[in-house]
Amino acid sequence: MPLNIDWQQILLHLFNVTLLFAVLYFLLYSPIKKFMQKRSEHYLEMEREAERKLADADAVKKEQEEKQVRFDEEMAGVRSKIEAEARDSAEKTLADAKKEAEKILEANKANAQREKEKILQEASAQISEMAVEAAKKVVMESTSGAYDSFLDSAKGAKTDE
Amino acid sequence: MSKKQKWISFAVFAVLICVFLVGSFIVKSPGEEETIQETMRNEVLHETAKISLFGIKDVNPGLISAFCVTGIITAFAVIVRIFVIPRFRYVPGKFQLLLEEAVGTFDRMAKGSSPHLNRFLGAYIFMAGAYIFIGTIFELFGFQAVTTSGMSVALPAPLSDINGAITMGCLSYLIILSGGITSNGLKGVGRTLKDFSLPISMSFRLFGALLSGALVTELVYYYVGLSYVLPVVVGVLFTLIHALIQAYVLTMLTALFYGEVSEKPAPKRKKIKASV
Repeated sequence: MPLNIDWQQILLHLFNVTLLFAVLYFLLYSPIKKFMQKRSEHYLEMEREAERKLADADAVKKEQEEKQVRFDEEMAGVRSKIEAEARDSAEKTLADAKKEAEKILEANKANAQREKEKILQEASAQISEMAVEAAKKVVMESTSGAYDSFLDSAKGAKTDE
Repeated sequence: MSKKQKWISFAVFAVLICVFLVGSFIVKSPGEEETIQETMRNEVLHETAKISLFGIKDVNPGLISAFCVTGIITAFAVIVRIFVIPRFRYVPGKFQLLLEEAVGTFDRMAKGSSPHLNRFLGAYIFMAGAYIFIGTIFELFGFQAVTTSGMSVALPAPLSDINGAITMGCLSYLIILSGGITSNGLKGVGRTLKDFSLPISMSFRLFGALLSGALVTELVYYYVGLSYVLPVVVGVLFTLIHALIQAYVLTMLTALFYGEVSEKPAPKRKKIKASV
């Protein structure tokens, strides 16, 4: 054969290469590739797990936010209710106090009126008593004076005689 | 390293270089008995430098190199499989990273060139790349073998033997053909056969590239005057570079053609007749 080409040697080379292929495939290529695949699957799984956890955390966060919103709404409702009740109660208390005050005022007014009337009555009684006394006095004074002047004049006339 | 130790190392190296230089002039080169023409012809054709294969047949040194390379790679693979791979960690060390990168490079190349069918292709180009790269570097070590005529020869790269190169070229073509058949049946065969020159071009590209390296190295070593300093560049650097280039070229070509012939044809669009 030209160029020293030898079919037998080509077949021997072929045998050698096939043997090498089998050795490299089973001892190096396949196990290393399997390991690399396993590792990438491991990291993918980790990534998926992280995404799942992130999604769960997001869901929990969303749920918490919704709960917070609901709670805020409930709290706002309760607050407004309590405020309304407090306002009503305060108004009622105020109204009661006003009524009470009015009552007290009325009672006081009545008492005062009564006292006034009583005082007036007493005063008028005293005044009239005093007036009577004064009149009596005046009368007595005028009568005694007259008697006195009469007696004095009578006395004078007697002396003249 | 202290300054004193550096000077001692430097002096030891200088003495060794001088001893080897003097020794190379004293010892007669056996290559001088053969003319440069004969050496070159023997490198290409291996007409006289044959090695006996267990007494069964006289074969080219390239075949012995091929068996040696397979033996070395197998031993390495067995050691790695037993002692290294079971200790692989998710955060890789340097050696694990090197192995993963070697497998990953060819796997990515296969997936990139043939996204639809690449499992077998990835394994094949991994093997081909490792074989070409390690086989080419193998010639750097200059392992000696005894020829049938009793001469000592340095074992060459397996693919600098025409039979080894033809094997790789034709095997790559057969792999491409298998990809075509697996994916597209008879159409795939047609597509592959269309590139009928591929096995020849692949074989001779490999043979030419690796043989040229061997010839240049042989030429340099033939003359004593060129055997100083120059082999560092020619012998080591060129060998490393063309080991890388040839491994890349053959694997890339195989992956590209494999992807091309195994690609599923796009469904034909039905012609819509324009209504008048």
